[in-house]
Amino acid sequence: MLKTISIRLFTSLLVILGSLVLVFVIVYLLPGDPVMSMVDPSTVTPEVLASLRAQLGVDRPLYEQFGSYVSKVLQGDFGKSIVNDDPVLPKIIAHLPATLALTAASCLIAAVVGIWLGVLSAIHRDRWIDITARVVGLFGISMPTFWSGILLILLFSITLDWFPAMGSEGWKTLVLPSIGLGIVGAGFVVRLVRNSMLEVINEPFIVTLRAKGISEKLVMYRHALRNALIPALTMIGVLSGDLLAGTVVIETVFSRQGIGRVISDALMSKDLPVVQGVVFFSAIMYVIINLIVDLSYRIIDPRVRRSQ
Amino acid sequence: MLKKRSSLKIMIALTTALILVLSGCAGTNKGSSTSDGAASVSETNTAAASEPAKGGELTYALATSPDTLDPHRSGLAVAVRAIRTIHDSLVAQLPDGSIQPWLAEEWTVSEDGKSYTFKLRQDVKFHDGTPFNAEAVKYNYDRILNPETKAANSAALIRPYKSAEVLDEYTIKLNLETPSNAFLGNLSQALVSIVSPTAAQKYGDQLGKNPVGTGPFKFVSWEENSQITVERNPDYKWAPPLVENKEAPYLDKVVFKIVPEEATRIGSVQSGQVLAGETIPPQNILALKKDEKLQLFQSNTQGLPYTLFINQSKAPWNELKARQALQTAIDVDAIVKTLYLGTYDRAWSPLTPGTFGYDKSLEGGVKPDLDKANALLDELGYVLGADGIRTKDGKKLTLHYVDGSPNREKRNDIAAIIQQQLKQIGVTVEVEITKDVRTVVYENGNYDIYGNSQVNSDPEALRSFYHSSAVNVSGKQNLPGYKNTEVDSWIDQGLIEKDPVKRQELYANVQKAIIEQAVIIPIYVFPYTIAASKSVTDIKFDSLAYPLFNDAFIQK
Repeated sequence: MLKTISIRLFTSLLVILGSLVLVFVIVYLLPGDPVMSMVDPSTVTPEVLASLRAQLGVDRPLYEQFGSYVSKVLQGDFGKSIVNDDPVLPKIIAHLPATLALTAASCLIAAVVGIWLGVLSAIHRDRWIDITARVVGLFGISMPTFWSGILLILLFSITLDWFPAMGSEGWKTLVLPSIGLGIVGAGFVVRLVRNSMLEVINEPFIVTLRAKGISEKLVMYRHALRNALIPALTMIGVLSGDLLAGTVVIETVFSRQGIGRVISDALMSKDLPVVQGVVFFSAIMYVIINLIVDLSYRIIDPRVRRSQ
Repeated sequence: MLKKRSSLKIMIALTTALILVLSGCAGTNKGSSTSDGAASVSETNTAAASEPAKGGELTYALATSPDTLDPHRSGLAVAVRAIRTIHDSLVAQLPDGSIQPWLAEEWTVSEDGKSYTFKLRQDVKFHDGTPFNAEAVKYNYDRILNPETKAANSAALIRPYKSAEVLDEYTIKLNLETPSNAFLGNLSQALVSIVSPTAAQKYGDQLGKNPVGTGPFKFVSWEENSQITVERNPDYKWAPPLVENKEAPYLDKVVFKIVPEEATRIGSVQSGQVLAGETIPPQNILALKKDEKLQLFQSNTQGLPYTLFINQSKAPWNELKARQALQTAIDVDAIVKTLYLGTYDRAWSPLTPGTFGYDKSLEGGVKPDLDKANALLDELGYVLGADGIRTKDGKKLTLHYVDGSPNREKRNDIAAIIQQQLKQIGVTVEVEITKDVRTVVYENGNYDIYGNSQVNSDPEALRSFYHSSAVNVSGKQNLPGYKNTEVDSWIDQGLIEKDPVKRQELYANVQKAIIEQAVIIPIYVFPYTIAASKSVTDIKFDSLAYPLFNDAFIQK
């Protein structure tokens, strides 16, 4: 058990370091000049540019920049934004809660709605509940989030005035964006849970349970669902990464604070230190979520527990 | 299986229809119930019949996030909306172009035009209690020149400023390298407004997060990507002649909310979640005019309109005839009417109509004429092929059109229409949309047409686009690659000519030459547009079309 976890932690560290290297190289290879985004290109003089470059250290070779960056990160110094000199770490810490809340809420919606509809749809195969669930699933998957986000605003904010269209203060502002994002995840989960439920339902052990005279509800929710949950859980683990990425769009549509917007702004202006900082934190979060998913298999499935 | 498929399709169709109906209702309900109420579109303010009501909080949705609130370091127009509430300038420029006192009571210009002596107001204090005086002004302008400040934009604005001498506590002399008519006007701009020297020293490069000025509002807080809050400065009594209220503003607070998504921004104004929102697109302007709960405030920006610069350093655009072919083949009227539905004005000159020196005689001058355009290309030896594309020496006539924004103000749609229009004369247009215009346009010069605009208060703005000595960062030519010694000398004379009538003539010459030689294709004049709830009264604009909140109040 301890060994498994320590191996997992070690590989997680590799993933985080790998993502840092990758981002460093990609941003370095992109055309354009970060310093140019700080100034008005039609008026700035070459001397000002040169001094800015030296100040930021972007005139040094890549490996030197990377080396000094990693050593600083280890000391907890993530550098400053080149756009407005904001220190990166406090910026991320300030924006992280809003994004975490959004990701968690939409994961919850994806899981609850997805599993519930998936089970219903498998139990009532080919009846109207099944068809509705599958339509909802298809919708969730195929609607781009900016579009569903705007529809939600149009309906629940402007027309009905139930929830605010923008902002990130209080639980009310969380409702529409997490529905907008969660419905995508729900779409995937519905399909998956439905399929694996259908598979499980026809397995011999279910037939046996039924033959024993155990109530249909208990068979479905206690025994069949438990078996169908494993793939769903893996899916939700993967989805959490997608949802994290989805916050970039949703946070912009709903004018929320969050690291999704921080990174999209930073990418636009080639704000290297900020991009690296956010990627670093996203990698950590992704790794943590996957760790949790892996560990929770052991709780749900006794086979996984025993095999270790 | 077949049955399952078709019921699925029906469900999709029904759900889609339901959503469309629901969202459609949202629009029509409001539209039909209020179609009789004509919304007021006012150039400067609404009927100011009612007595200003004190207090209240004005929420104002901005389209993008400001970069910094340090005026000297900012490069974004959106930041200026907030910067202007916190900071004052030495002088004010009225929409008619005249320069009026603000923090400076009066001034004299030396005979050679190279030094300006300002008498400053003696009753002004910064928000942090620091007294405003000649030392503070000197500190500010020296700060802009200091490379440590990284003040690239404001540094360009105070050029050719050289040094300041403090003559006594409230008198300061500013020395210039060379005389400049644009200098005073530029001092009126928000990017060279005055910050508290105490705060600038205390916060250093973090001043942008803790701005301190002498303005009508004091900075309270900035939650990044969310909102900026400023509150009334009760001691304020030095408002510029741009506004009526010379005392502290009526509003308790202005809260700038950052709402990048257009639909959300407009929706928030419509639902009353914010009282005002900026940058309203044309199709919404028409709809909002019909909404009796809302009103529009609009002001045309000054400086350079949205202009397509034709790159003369590339063949065949170095030939006048080729450029004229573009000029006559592109139907600007059709573009502006189609895309902006009559809410934007068409541009005719390298300058916008409000700018000093604007040459009105250019209006209506260039007319679309496909026959002429075709004839011009024929003369250049480009032969129309079977595929409808012109070729010469086996090379197809293509035009590389670069745009730098993801459809800001429908600029990408302009490119698309021009693509269609130029097809009619056998020119293929390749459109490249890239955020990285700095590399593509300014460093590599890889464009035949590139569109840009610039907000400015003085025709001196023409220099960095049309003077042959103007080079960009990479030491490359000005945008159109234009070299004309006559135009150079007019721009140079315009900078020092004291007689306004003669100065006007010089700039008229520049504008005529640029249009005659088809250096550019001017497209539209951008109107800064705010949609606001009817209760919001008296938002005013400065000469650059930035909003001022000194007179604004919320009707109870």
